[in-house]
Amino acid sequence: MLEGAEFYFNVDHGYLEGLVRGCKASLLTQQDYINLVQCETLEDVKIHLQTTDYGNFLANQTNPLTVSKIDTEMRKKLCREFEYFRNHSLEPLSTFFTYMTCSYMIDNVILLMNGALQKKSVKEILVKCHPLGRFTEMEAVNIAETPSDLFNAVLVETPLAPFFQDCMSENTLDELNIELLRNKLYKSYLEAFYKFCKNHGDVTAEIMCPILEFEADRRAFIITLNSFGTELSKDDRETLYPTCGKLYPEGLRLLAQAEDFDQMRRVADHYGVYKPLFEAVGDGSGGKTLEDVFYEREVQMNVLAFNRQFHYGVFYAYTKLKEQEMRNIVYRSSSFEVPIL
Amino acid sequence: MGSLFRSETMCLAQLFLQSGTAYECLSALGEKGLVQFRDLNQNVSSFQRKFVGEVKRCEELERILAYLVQEINRADIPLPEGETSPPAPPLKQVLEMQEQLQKLEVELREVTKNKEKLRKNLLELIEYTHMLRVTKTFVKRNVEFEPTYEEFPPLENDSLLDYSCMQRLGAKLGFVSGLINQGKVEAFEKMLWRVCKGYTIVTYAELDEPLEDPETGEVIKWYVFLISFWGEQIGHKVKKICDCYHCHVYPYPNTAEERKEIQEGLNTRIQDLYTVLHKTEDYLRQVLCKAAESVYSHVIQVKKMKAIYHMLNMCSFDVTNKCLIAEVWCPEADLHELRRALEEGSRESGATIPSFMNTIPTKETPPTLIRTNKFTEGFQNIVDAYGVGSYREVNPALFTIITFPFLFAVMFGDFGHGFVMFLFALLLVLNENHPRLNQSQEIMRMFFNGRYILLLMGLFSVYTGLIYNDCFSKSVNLFGSGWSVSAMYSSSHTPAEQKKMGLWNDSVVRHNRVLQLDPSIPGVFQGPYPLGIDPIWNLATNRLTFLNSFKMKMSVILGIIHMTFGVILGIFNHLHFRKKFNIYLVSVPELLFMLCIFGYLIFMIVYKWLVYSAETSRVAPSILIEFINMFLFPASETNGLYSGQGHVQRLLLAVTALSVPVLFLGKPLFLLWLHNGRSCFGVSRSGYTLVRKDSEEEVSLLGSQDIEEGNNQIEDGYREMMCEEFNFGEILMTQVIHSIEYCLGCISNTASYLRLWALSLAHAQLSDVLWTMLVRVGLRVDTTYGVLLLLPVIALFAVLTIFILLIMEGLSAFLHAIRLHWVEFQNKFYVGAGTKFVPFSFRLLSSKFSDDVA
Repeated sequence: MLEGAEFYFNVDHGYLEGLVRGCKASLLTQQDYINLVQCETLEDVKIHLQTTDYGNFLANQTNPLTVSKIDTEMRKKLCREFEYFRNHSLEPLSTFFTYMTCSYMIDNVILLMNGALQKKSVKEILVKCHPLGRFTEMEAVNIAETPSDLFNAVLVETPLAPFFQDCMSENTLDELNIELLRNKLYKSYLEAFYKFCKNHGDVTAEIMCPILEFEADRRAFIITLNSFGTELSKDDRETLYPTCGKLYPEGLRLLAQAEDFDQMRRVADHYGVYKPLFEAVGDGSGGKTLEDVFYEREVQMNVLAFNRQFHYGVFYAYTKLKEQEMRNIVYRSSSFEVPIL
Repeated sequence: MGSLFRSETMCLAQLFLQSGTAYECLSALGEKGLVQFRDLNQNVSSFQRKFVGEVKRCEELERILAYLVQEINRADIPLPEGETSPPAPPLKQVLEMQEQLQKLEVELREVTKNKEKLRKNLLELIEYTHMLRVTKTFVKRNVEFEPTYEEFPPLENDSLLDYSCMQRLGAKLGFVSGLINQGKVEAFEKMLWRVCKGYTIVTYAELDEPLEDPETGEVIKWYVFLISFWGEQIGHKVKKICDCYHCHVYPYPNTAEERKEIQEGLNTRIQDLYTVLHKTEDYLRQVLCKAAESVYSHVIQVKKMKAIYHMLNMCSFDVTNKCLIAEVWCPEADLHELRRALEEGSRESGATIPSFMNTIPTKETPPTLIRTNKFTEGFQNIVDAYGVGSYREVNPALFTIITFPFLFAVMFGDFGHGFVMFLFALLLVLNENHPRLNQSQEIMRMFFNGRYILLLMGLFSVYTGLIYNDCFSKSVNLFGSGWSVSAMYSSSHTPAEQKKMGLWNDSVVRHNRVLQLDPSIPGVFQGPYPLGIDPIWNLATNRLTFLNSFKMKMSVILGIIHMTFGVILGIFNHLHFRKKFNIYLVSVPELLFMLCIFGYLIFMIVYKWLVYSAETSRVAPSILIEFINMFLFPASETNGLYSGQGHVQRLLLAVTALSVPVLFLGKPLFLLWLHNGRSCFGVSRSGYTLVRKDSEEEVSLLGSQDIEEGNNQIEDGYREMMCEEFNFGEILMTQVIHSIEYCLGCISNTASYLRLWALSLAHAQLSDVLWTMLVRVGLRVDTTYGVLLLLPVIALFAVLTIFILLIMEGLSAFLHAIRLHWVEFQNKFYVGAGTKFVPFSFRLLSSKFSDDVA
């Protein structure tokens, strides 16, 4: 790609960028959140959301309102917007969009396989799948018994296929293996996405690479954190780390050796970016969890992505911000939900 | 007329609504549309307001109604729209209505659900029969193919092994058959191949008729497929894949008899289902028909109810929680109506304590209300599009009614075109009650709303067309031309005299292409044409030169009159807002500046017209040169228009020069002086009024109110001074900017009025071109073909006249007329910083179904 996106970016993608910036303006504001905090029932939430850009998206829902209804409708709305972007996009933006959906597709595949393992019906799990990661072959996932089966039979024609190169094996898919498969898929996905953005160059690379680097490192930390006290060997653990982050290579090697949270913290101390994050984590009683801190940092990066023009990062950032917003609303709403006995 | 000159006086009123009667009172107010509510709960979020529950109930009702309308529309039952709009339902009826609607909804949902189920069932059965019919042909083929397949395995050892293994395990041939969506066939087949590694045989055929999808209701093409496979394992996989691609799988009969049995069974079941479905549909139709009768009134009622609760949400509660307090803007003229409406509302609800109101003094600027009728509405809209007038400001719409069509007509001066436009507008006006016009689409609606503007524009165009003597670019000779050509041939003179006077003889006529009439020869010019331009100019080659000079002067004269009028209207504003100093310090210098330069220009034009005749025209000075000399003081004195011209001009220039500094500095300095003088003065004044108020308070309530008002006014004025004085620099800046804009504007705006000339010229030339290029060509052709040719030529002429000259030219003239009003006229006096008065009125609610369906 030639340098100087500003000369030709708008020819192909100007409309969509304008659109996404308009959509970004419709994100809930501080005032909206203050109002949401004041809500006392789900109905209140619904009424307040009506005054925002969500409009009367819940108008046709029969009573009683539930959190899952709100969640599905919000997802549908995001999905509609995303589909619109995607349908109007040109190369290489459409590839970018495909990359964006891949992470949801991975999640959906794993979700379905877990469901099959627990002998749940496909329909039941299908409802829980993220609409952005939907694809036709998805429902046939439970045919496969081994990862290579999965690849050969089901996923070979989907965009996920290239990410399978590292995880072809004949192991049966039990819970641990599924989790390993997820992480390996994610690793190759992130690396591929990173490479795509890097090759694209220009502002897109400048914006997207730090975001993806952060994403990769976050995964490395979380994998480490989750693997404490499991039977996962340290070598296996190291193979799961995405190698496109700032931690690569020394940090990852150190992380692979870490045995508890303090050691992990020590690794992070070597990096100026992650040190303050780990410092912000509260101790066991209250305070922020590591996950919250990471979310905050992610949101911050996504918001900053809007400060530059002529790049694809805004689409990624918008989707992530909208997702965070949905998480917030669902979190807020679910506090009203009283289990009905 | 008075109400159009200024917006109505408003007052802020407080309504005390007893909580029991508030709903009825608001319903009465909404029907009348008298008042605009102010939101007293601005900092309360929408879900914390008092009547949120009721609003929610309304929304629930709306949801049910929307569902009903949707179902009724789907069943193609006409929805009657009532003529009258029913009043908001009394509270007692609301519950009843809600119950009724909810029952209806439950019933409808159940019936539709049953219907859908039956329908789905039926579709499935139909699909099944289709599948059976199509697969019958497959089997025959399969039988033919199978031997070849069996022969095939020996070539590959692997598959042979598998095959024989399966046979040993007792695996037998299985079939899965069904229907699949056309678009998915290819992917489905590929997936089957990959998963089952070729141990299946897939046969499929396209179904010749498209069927409805039982799930989405879409009508699409389907493929019937038959998969034959060996073994349980693969069978499971095949079934899963079928699920994945949403195939409709039906059991496959193994023998011919079975097939026959199933087919017969299916046929009878389909028959049964048809009858049941018909019955259900009939019943559904009955229910919907009954619902359709009352749906319209319900929709309106619920809308009104919701509007009422929205308004009630704007009211604040009184301390005792017994009554609601609403603050409303109400035109003073309507106060008694408001009282009556409140009484009515209270009476209707049978409350013991009536709701009442009182007016409260306020310092806030009230909204602007200018009452319009169907005639003035269009003109008011033109003004409002620029900006809604400030409260009690002079409303330019009143003058726009005449000046707008007039300025338009100056640019659109053609008798014929104007008449066509007039006829079109007249047609609209005469049929204005026709329902199709009222509900017409965007562009037609635009014309319809501006029908009275169009009417006047057409009329005025007829008038200016008569003045320009233009009818489809041709002149009309009504009274006989004032010029005589024969007088040029006068034979009473000697040839020498003839030569001297420029009279014509045969040789002159024969050898000159262009001949000139000389008005100074007696008998050639017998006096002006009675109305407008002499038709003889239509033949003259110097017609354009003549018309240009005439139209240019006319544009300048009209423009300056228009602008001067604007400045004078400013004086009315200053008088009304009690800012007399503005008259002396702003308006008068502005007027002097304008009149001393451009007023004098007009004077020169008119003077030259009156004083110089055909004989003396050769010595007449050029106005342009005279006007330039006015500023340049040339060394050599020219022979001017009149004696003493130099002195008059110098005096005028001096006045102009003097008015500029007054304009720049007068108002700011005066305000500064006023503030310095008033600051102590003001305190003593307010003290004085306070004393007076104390002393007279006991006398009468009415009296004290008056004093209070007066006091308020003084305080208002004083406060304004204070505010304005606090930033003297800002006042100075505003005034300087305003003055610069005005002084430069006088020149550029005058030039801007020349568009009147330019557009009228363009219009005349365009219609002239159309005539010469089309009709004249058609008329010149020989009689035999001419008749045939003339018809299409006239048709084309009519079409082009309408589209280019009437619509396109009309639009451009319209836009320029708007610009002249907005920029050149209104910036002389019009602030346009008001907000529109939007009354709470049920009439503003839309009463269309289409809106609530969308």
